[in-house]
Amino acid sequence: MNIRVARVDDLMGMQACNLQNLPENYTMKYYFYHALTWPNLSYVAEDHKGRIVGYILAKMEEDLQPGEEPHGHVTSISVLRSYRRLGLAKKLMVQSQEAMATIYRASYVSLHVRKSNRAAFGLYHDALGFAIHDIEKKYYADGEDAYSMRLSLKQ
Amino acid sequence: MPQGPAAGSAIPAKRALPSKESTLFKDLLSHYESRQLKKGHKIADQILKKFPEHGETLCMKGLVLTHMGKREEGLELVKKGIRLDLTSHICWHVFGLIQKGEKNYDEALKSYTQALRFDKENLNLLQDAANLQTQLRLFDSLQETRHTILRLRPNVRRNWVALAVAYHLGGNLEDARNVLEQYARTLKNIPDYDTEHSEVILYHIRLLADLGHNADALALLDTSAKSRAVVDRMSIMEYRARLLSSTGAQDDAAHAWRALIEHNPDNYAYYRGYLSAKGFDIDNLPEVKTPEVLKILSELGEQMPKAAAPRRLALDVASGTEFTTLARTYILSALRRGIPSLFADIKALYTDPAKRDAIERVVTAFYDSLSNSASASTPATHLWTLYFLAQHHSFSPSPPSPPSPPYTHALTLIHTALAHTPTLPELHTLHARILKRAGDPYGACAALEEARRLDGQDRYVNTKSAKYHLRCGMLEEAEGVLGVFTKKDAASPGADLEDMQSLLYMLEEASAQNRLNRPGLALKRYLAIQKVFDDIYNDQYDFHSYSIRRFTINIYLNLMSFEDKLRAHPAYVASSVEASRIYVRVHDDPSVATASTSIANMTGVAKKAIKKAKKAAFKAQEEPKKGLTQATSNEDKGLEPGPAKDEDPEGIKALGVKDPIEQAWKLLKPFATPTQNSLDVWIAVYDVSVRRQKYLLAAKALLKARGLKGEDGELHIRIVDFKQRVSSLPQLPADPIGPALASALALILPDELALETYNSQYLQRHASSAASVLAAAKVAHNLHAPIEEVEDLLFRLTTPEVNDDIKSGLATHAFLVKLGSRRADEFRQGCDDRYVLSTVFKTPEEIARLRAPPAQGMSDGDEPPEGQ
Repeated sequence: MNIRVARVDDLMGMQACNLQNLPENYTMKYYFYHALTWPNLSYVAEDHKGRIVGYILAKMEEDLQPGEEPHGHVTSISVLRSYRRLGLAKKLMVQSQEAMATIYRASYVSLHVRKSNRAAFGLYHDALGFAIHDIEKKYYADGEDAYSMRLSLKQ
Repeated sequence: MPQGPAAGSAIPAKRALPSKESTLFKDLLSHYESRQLKKGHKIADQILKKFPEHGETLCMKGLVLTHMGKREEGLELVKKGIRLDLTSHICWHVFGLIQKGEKNYDEALKSYTQALRFDKENLNLLQDAANLQTQLRLFDSLQETRHTILRLRPNVRRNWVALAVAYHLGGNLEDARNVLEQYARTLKNIPDYDTEHSEVILYHIRLLADLGHNADALALLDTSAKSRAVVDRMSIMEYRARLLSSTGAQDDAAHAWRALIEHNPDNYAYYRGYLSAKGFDIDNLPEVKTPEVLKILSELGEQMPKAAAPRRLALDVASGTEFTTLARTYILSALRRGIPSLFADIKALYTDPAKRDAIERVVTAFYDSLSNSASASTPATHLWTLYFLAQHHSFSPSPPSPPSPPYTHALTLIHTALAHTPTLPELHTLHARILKRAGDPYGACAALEEARRLDGQDRYVNTKSAKYHLRCGMLEEAEGVLGVFTKKDAASPGADLEDMQSLLYMLEEASAQNRLNRPGLALKRYLAIQKVFDDIYNDQYDFHSYSIRRFTINIYLNLMSFEDKLRAHPAYVASSVEASRIYVRVHDDPSVATASTSIANMTGVAKKAIKKAKKAAFKAQEEPKKGLTQATSNEDKGLEPGPAKDEDPEGIKALGVKDPIEQAWKLLKPFATPTQNSLDVWIAVYDVSVRRQKYLLAAKALLKARGLKGEDGELHIRIVDFKQRVSSLPQLPADPIGPALASALALILPDELALETYNSQYLQRHASSAASVLAAAKVAHNLHAPIEEVEDLLFRLTTPEVNDDIKSGLATHAFLVKLGSRRADEFRQGCDDRYVLSTVFKTPEEIARLRAPPAQGMSDGDEPPEGQ
C-alpha cells in the first residue's frame, strides 16, 4: 500500500474510513480544520486504485500551558480490517511523528483511548510504543474514562 | 462587527441622537461585541422608547434578538430599521451579517456592498466582503477588495499574502508573484523557526513552479532550505526532487528521489520518480529494459527490508518465469506471515491473464505441498492459503466445468477453511462475499452475522453486516446492528449516521428503500445526501480568512479546487440521478406519490419503526427548545439557524411537490455540461428534458449518450421513445428550434426506417446480450407488439444463445410482472432452477423465510461493547 501525506482530496476517503472503523466520528469540517492548520501531519495509506484504506489524522496541541513543551496529538488513526497486519498503522504513525518533530519541534505525541478498547490499546502500546501517562476521568461523552497515552519524540 | 459612525462624516438628522442616547448606542454596540445580549436588548429598548424610528437601534435590536434565538422577530426589526435609514452602513452591515449566518452569501454580499458605499474604508466590512467574494468566486472584485485592505494596512503581513492569493485564484499568477516579491522585500527580523513564514515561502516556490520558472523555484528552495527559513524537510525534499526532474538535472534528481525513498520507503511516487530520473518509465517499459529495472528494485528491496513497495513494484514490471519466481517469494512470505490483505494487494495484477494463471499455479502448488507433507508449516499458513485460494476463485472463477455453477469451487474452499477454524471472522466475511456474488444476499447476510457474532467490538464488521442487511431489504435489522456503535442520544442510528455525513450508509439505505418500492423515503435520503454536499461546500467559508491568518496557502488553494469539483463526487452524481428518476416516476404517474408512500402498504413492523422514528425525531427537536422558551436567556444562539424540523418523516411532501419534473431538472442541470461523460447522467437528462418538452436538449443528451455507448439498451429504448414523441407532436417547434431538432433527429435515427425494423435490427446485432434483448422487448412493447411476442422475446434469456446473468434475470422478471404476464412465474422458476446458488428468484414466501432471523436469537455478540 502507498503511504503518503494526506491531500485535501483524501479527506472524504479518510472520513469514510473512520466511520467504518471507529466509534469516534467527526464531520468533514473537522478534517478540513486539521489539514488546513497542519498540512503536513496527516498521512494516508491507499490501495492500487487510490482508495483510502488507512489514515492518521494528527494535530499539534494548541492550548499549551505556560512552560509546557510543544507536542503533537493523534486525533484518529485506523486501518480497514481487511488491510491489517501489514504494519500500516506503524508506518503512518512514523511519518506523522517525524513531521511533528522536525516542523513543530514536538517533544512528544499524545493520544486518547477508551479504557475498554483493548484492541486499540494493544496497537498503541505494543506496536507503536505508547505508554500510559494518565487516566482522564469521564473523557468521553458517554462517561467512559480515557487513557491518556504518550510517546516521546526525543532522540 | 458594526462600528460607530465614521468620524467627521455628516450625520443625517434622523440618525443623530442626543448625547445621552448617543452614549447608550455606543454601549449597545459594545454589549453586542461582548455578547452581553440581555443588556444590549435592554439598552436598545431604552433608546427606542424615546426614538422609536431610529433605524440603527432597530437593526441592532434585531441582531441581538436573532442571536437570542428569536430569528423571525429579529429579522422583522432589521428590515424595518433599514427602511428607516437606507444610508446607514450599520443597518446594511447588520442585514449582511444575518444573511451570511443563513449562508445566503449572494444576498449578504449585496448588503455588504451597500454598507461599503457609506463607509468605504471599514476594515470589518472589507474583510467580510472579501470572504463573501471568495465564496462566490467573484475574483475581480476580490482583488479590488484585497487591494483596498492592503492600501489601508500595509504593515500587516497577511494582507500581502491575501492579495497574492486573490490574484492566484483569479488566474493572474504573474501578479501574485509580483506581490509576493514585494512582500518578501518588506520582511525584517523574521524569528527563527517561523512555520508561517516557512509556509509562505513554500507557496512562493509552488507559484514559481506553476508559472514554469523551475530554475527560479529551485534557487528559492535552495536558499530557503540553507537558511532554514523553510522548516518542513519533507516538503523541501519533495519540491527539490520534482523541480530537479523537470529541469532535466537527472543525476541530482535521482539523488533527491533516492533520499525521499530513504525517508518513506512505502511511497510509490518516490520509486517512480527515481526510476524516471534513471531513464525508466515503468508504465511504458520496453521489455529489453525490464532486467535493469528489476535489478534496481531488487537492490532497493534489500536496502529497505521492511518496505513492501519495491517488491510489489517488481511484480508490476516482471513477466514470464521471472514473474513466477518473484510472485512465489512475495506470496509465500505473506502466507507464512498470515497477512489477510494479500489478495487485495495483488489482485490488480489479474488484469494480465498470464499473471493471474501464474499466481493460481504458485498458490495451488504451495497448498498441495502443505497438504501432502507433514512439514513444519503451521496450521495458520494452511488456513491463510485456503483463504487466499477461495478469494482467488471467487474474484476470478476459472471457466466452470459444465455441471457445477460458478463459485462452487470458491465455496468448497471456504467451507474447508471454516471447518478447520470456525472462529476467524475473516473467513465468515469472505463466505458472505462469495454468497453475495453467487446471488444469495440472504445467505450472505447470515454468514456476515456469524463474523459479527465473533467480534462484536469491531465496527468494520458491524458496518459490513448492516450493509448486507440493507442489501436484502432488512432495514430494521440493519438499524439495530448500526445502533451498537451510533450515539445513544441520537434520534435513531440512521439520524446519527446522517449527522456524521456517512455517504455509504445514506446511499445504501436509499437504494434499499427504492428496492422496497418506498420512493418517498428513498427520495428523502437522496435529498439528504445533497444536503451533505451543500454543507461540505459551505464548510470552506471559514477557511477563506482562517488559512490566510495561518498562512497555509498551498493547502488552501487545493481546498478551493477541491470544492470547485466537489459535486463530481460519485455519491453526489448518483443521488442526483436517482432522485431525478423518482421525480420522473411521479411525473408520469402522480399516484406514485400517494399510493406507495402511504403507511398502509407497509408491514406492521415497518409502521412501528416509522412511528418510533417520528417520536424520537420529535423528542430530539423539542428538547433544545426547552431552553429557548426563556426569552430572557443571555445565551448566544449564533446567527446560523438551528437544524430545521423534520416535518416530512416519510418523504410524502418531498414526493408530492407540484412540479416534480422541474425539481428533477434542478438536480440534473449542473451535470449537463460538455465534459460530462456518464451514460447514466445523459439518459437521466434525456428523460427529464423530453418531459419538459425541451426537445433540442433531449436530442443533445441522446447524441452525448450515443458517443459514450452507442449500442446501450437503455439508450436504444430512449431513441425509439424520442422518435415516437416527436412524431406525435402536432407540429415541430418554431424556427430555429424546429429545423435544428429535425436535423438532430436525422442524426439519431434515419427517417425512412420503420421503428419496428429499427428494433429488430438492433436485436439482431445483439442477440446474445441479455440487456439488449430486454431493451428490445421493452421497445416492442412500447410499439404495441402483442404480449405473446414480447414474452417470446423475453424468454430468449432462458436459452443458451443469450449470455444472461442474475441482474438481467431480475430486471426481466420485474418487467414481466409489470406487463401482467401470465408467464412471469414460469420465468422466475426457470431462473431459480438455472442459478442454483442464488436465492433472489425464490417466491416471496420463501424470501420472507430466508429473511427471518435464525432461531437462536440474540447472542452475546449482539450486546453493545462496553462503554461504546
